[in-house]
Amino acid sequence: MIDLAMHMMDIAQNSIRANAKTIAIVLNEDNKDHTLTFSVQDDGCGMNEEQVKKLADPFFTTRTTRRVGLGVPFLKMTAEQTGGSLKIISANGEGTAIEAVYRTDNPDCLPLGDLAGYLTLLLKANPGIRFRFVYRLNDETFELDSEELKQQEIDLRQAQMVAAVKEYMNENLTELFNKRSPHSFLC
Amino acid sequence: MTGIKTLADLKKKQEEVKSQINLREKAENPDAMIQVKVAMATCGIASGAKDVMEFFVEALDKRNINAVVTQTGCMGYCFAEPTVEIKMPDKEPIVFGYVDVKKADEIIESYIKQGELVDGIIPQNYDVIG
Repeated sequence: MIDLAMHMMDIAQNSIRANAKTIAIVLNEDNKDHTLTFSVQDDGCGMNEEQVKKLADPFFTTRTTRRVGLGVPFLKMTAEQTGGSLKIISANGEGTAIEAVYRTDNPDCLPLGDLAGYLTLLLKANPGIRFRFVYRLNDETFELDSEELKQQEIDLRQAQMVAAVKEYMNENLTELFNKRSPHSFLC
Repeated sequence: MTGIKTLADLKKKQEEVKSQINLREKAENPDAMIQVKVAMATCGIASGAKDVMEFFVEALDKRNINAVVTQTGCMGYCFAEPTVEIKMPDKEPIVFGYVDVKKADEIIESYIKQGELVDGIIPQNYDVIG
């Protein structure tokens, strides 16, 4: 994983496999604390205590197509190599919340990558799931809710609209990123 | 065209797209449509499945091919990522491995358009790597 957007797609995929109906993806960048908190919260099937404990073990997986599961271990690794941490809260039947903290004053902090591209693909490929995406930088927020797009009758089955939603996100995120402190290693 | 910055801009764009004459019928039954599934698990993402998926979405639309592009989990062929499964109506699904944008173009032109097989097919009786 060379950027955070890849992690976002990867971790969201776990929620989709857990049959989540709503998935909230929140990125919270705090220039004062020099942290970026990336969290994904879903209302899927959740996990029991035993499974949560084993989650960071690369040889633990529930799928049958292969015997390794690297999504969460990679996320833990990239967060911890910046001096950050990973936290998972989950209960059977109640969904899962996963939260990775990155130190943005550490040069090992991952670049954000193509958040808009990955998110529009998630929205397009999973029309039955409600996605809420929030990017907060200090006190300013950009929010995108797939429900809201539906109310505006935005139809992602049309390829031109996929490109339009991506552009919409990119425009707003770029404006937000201009307010980032120059001391941050995030890019 | 000016940039799309607000939800209102998005809505306007949607109306523009809608008003263009769309001769393709949106089939209700997905079985009757070409299905393109891009594997997007950790292995696929790390090998660049996103670019391939974006290419399929854009290229199939531009070439007026009625297809559903979606994503799937790991199919067990991590060594050959990015992998793409193509299901033509009334045919068995076929999995292509090592798909980059160039290969994706070849798959559209040869397999989807003309039904000719291209290199890189993963036979179904392959064992998965565990």
